[in-house]
Amino acid sequence: MQASQEETSGTAARSAVPEIAAAVVVVALGVFTIVDAHRIKIPLSSNAVGPRVFPYAVGVALIVAGIAVVAAVLRGEPADPEGGEDIDPNAPTDWLTLAKVLAGLALHVVLVDRLGWALAGALLFTVVAWALGASVWKAAIVGVILGFVVQALFVSGLGVTLPAGLFDGVSLLSG
Amino acid sequence: MGDFGSLIDGFGTALQPTYLLYALIGVTLGTAVGVLPGIGPAMTVALLLPVTYKLDATGAFIMFAGIYYGGMYGGSTTSILLNTPGESSSIITAIEGNKMARSGRGAAALATAAIGSFVAGTIATIGLTLVAPTLANLAVQLGSPDYVALTVVALLTVSALLGSSVSRGLASLSIGLLLGLVGTDNLTGQQRYTFGLPVLGDGIDVVTFAVGVFAVGEALWVASRLRHGPLAITPVGGRWMTRQDFSRSWRPWLRGTALGFPIGAMPAGGAEIPTFLSYALEKKLSKHKEEFGTTGAIEGVAGPEAANNAAAAGVLVPLLTLGLPTSATAAVLIAAFEGFGIQPGPLLFENEPDLVWALIASLYLGNILLLVLNLPLVGLWVRLLRVPRPYLYAGILMFSALGGYALNGVRTDLWVLLGIGVLGYGMRRFGYPIGPAVIGLILGPIAEKHLRRSLAISQGDATALVSTPFAATIYTLLAVGIVVTLVLRRRAKRVLDEIVHPEAVDPEVAS
Repeated sequence: MQASQEETSGTAARSAVPEIAAAVVVVALGVFTIVDAHRIKIPLSSNAVGPRVFPYAVGVALIVAGIAVVAAVLRGEPADPEGGEDIDPNAPTDWLTLAKVLAGLALHVVLVDRLGWALAGALLFTVVAWALGASVWKAAIVGVILGFVVQALFVSGLGVTLPAGLFDGVSLLSG
Repeated sequence: MGDFGSLIDGFGTALQPTYLLYALIGVTLGTAVGVLPGIGPAMTVALLLPVTYKLDATGAFIMFAGIYYGGMYGGSTTSILLNTPGESSSIITAIEGNKMARSGRGAAALATAAIGSFVAGTIATIGLTLVAPTLANLAVQLGSPDYVALTVVALLTVSALLGSSVSRGLASLSIGLLLGLVGTDNLTGQQRYTFGLPVLGDGIDVVTFAVGVFAVGEALWVASRLRHGPLAITPVGGRWMTRQDFSRSWRPWLRGTALGFPIGAMPAGGAEIPTFLSYALEKKLSKHKEEFGTTGAIEGVAGPEAANNAAAAGVLVPLLTLGLPTSATAAVLIAAFEGFGIQPGPLLFENEPDLVWALIASLYLGNILLLVLNLPLVGLWVRLLRVPRPYLYAGILMFSALGGYALNGVRTDLWVLLGIGVLGYGMRRFGYPIGPAVIGLILGPIAEKHLRRSLAISQGDATALVSTPFAATIYTLLAVGIVVTLVLRRRAKRVLDEIVHPEAVDPEVAS
C-alpha cells in the first residue's frame, strides 16, 4: 500500500505546464474548428440547419471543455495518465524509444507497397521489438516468419487483399 | 411465440458445422487476444476485424459475437492474475480477484469469474432475447427528434461517466465529434475538414480510428514508459471452487446479473457502474466482510464479474434495437456491422431476421463454448501473459498495420492510422479517456443527421425537438438521471478508494 501512495504523489508532483499546454491545444482545435467552418460552402438548396451549424457547436464544445480542463488543472486536479500492466507510472517519457517506434511505423507505411506486406510487416515488427529491448536478430527472425505466415494466411486463407510487392506472382502471397 | 420460433431458426443456423466452427474460432481468438496484457475488449474486436472481412455476413456476426464475449472473458483472467484492469469495468475484478489469488485462492477466483460470467451472460442473453424484439417494435415508431434526444443522452452520459475527469471526458467527446465531421457532408455533399485530401473525403473510418487510438496509441504509450524488470504474475494456486465457495457465489452471480443487465441496456448505462454497485452490495450483504479488501472475498469477484458480463449483453440491446452504441466496444461492433452494409437499428429485426436471430443464438452458444474452453484451458491462457513485452507490442503494431491496410486496401489510410495513434498517445499521456472519443465519432454523425432532418421538417422551429412526448420524457429523465448517476458515481468512487487505500480514507472527505 505504501508503494501505491508514493506513486500517487509522484504523479501529482509532475509539472502542470504540459497538462495546460495539452488543454490549450484542445482550445486551439476548437478555434480552428469554428474558423474553418466558415469555409464550408452552403449550397442554396440547404435549409435552416446547413452544414456549418454542427461544426460551430463542436468548436464551442472544444473551447469550453479545454477551458474547463485548464481550470481543473489550476484548481490542483492533475491529470490521471492512463495506467496499464506494462506502464511504469513514475518513469519519465522515453522519447528515444518513442521516436524509434514511430520511425518503424513510418518506414512501414512508406515501404509497404514496394516491399510487399510480409517484408514491410517484418520490418515494422523488428524495429519495434528492437526499440523495446529485444535482440535485433531474434526479432528479425520472428518478424520475417510472422510476416510471411500472416500474409499467406490472410491472402490465401481469408481472401483479404494485402500488397505482394516484391513477391508479386508468388501463389500463396498474392491474391 | 413468434420470437421463440425465430430463435429456434437462429439456433438452426448457428448450429451448422461451419458457423459453429466460426463461433469456436471467435471465442478462442477473443479469449487469447483478450488475455494479452494491454488489450481490452474494444481493442480485441478492432484488431480481429480483418479476420472477418471476407466471411458472409452471418458468419462474420457469429464470429463477432464470439470475439466480443471471448474478449470479456480473457480480460477478467488478466485482471485477476496481474492486478491491473484492462478496462474500467474490470477494476473490481482486478483488485478483489488479485487479493484472492495472492492468498492462494487463484483457482477459485478464476473459476467463480468464469462460471459467474457464464451464468450472467446466459441470463442476460435471455433478457436480450425477450426485450430486444419488443423494443425494436416500439423503436420503429420513433422519429428524428426522438433520435436526437437518445443520442444526446448517450453522448452526455458517456462522456460524463467514463474516466475520472468530467472536463476531460467532454474534451475527448468533442474531439471525437470533430473527427466525425471530417469528410463529405451527406446532406449537402460539401467537404468538411478534409484539407482537400482524397483520403479524408469519405471521412475517418471508425475501425481505423479504433485500431489507431486503442492499439497504436497504447503501443506508443507503453513504448514511452515501459515497465522494466519482471512483471509479477500471481500464480494460480489453491483448490478449485469448493462447495462452500459455490454457496457463497451463486447469489452474487444472480444479483450481479440483475444489476448489470438493466443498467447496461439503458442508453446511458455502460458496464462500469453496475460492477461498483454490485461490489458495494455484496460487501454489505456478506457474512465475511473481513475478507473484502484483505484476503479477497469470493463474493467480491463473483458479483462484479457477473455484473460486468451481464452489462456487456445489456449493451447489445440499444445497439441492436436503436443503433446506439453505449460502450467503446459497441461502437466498434457497429462499425463492423456497417462494413457488411447492415445498419443496426429498429428495422434490423424486420429486415434481417435470420441474421439477427443467428447472432443471438450464437451468443448462447458462445457462452457455453467459453465455459468449456476456459475452465480446463486456463493454464494455457496464463502462459500468454508471459509473452515478452517487446514481441507483444511489436505484434500489436503489426496487426494494427494489417487492419489499417486491409480495410480499404489503401496505403494512405495508414498515415491516418499513424496520426490517430499519436492522438491516442497524447490522450493517454494527459489523462483524456479514450471511450468518449470513439463514441463521439460514431454518434456525432447520427445526431447531426437526425437534428438537421427534424429541423428541416419543422422548417427551423427548434421546439419540434422537444415536442414529441418521447423526446420530452427523455430530456426530463436525462436531467434526473444525471443527478442520480453523479451521486452513484461518487459512491462508486468511494468504494474504490476504500479498496485501494483502506487506511487512507478520511471519514470527513468520504462523506
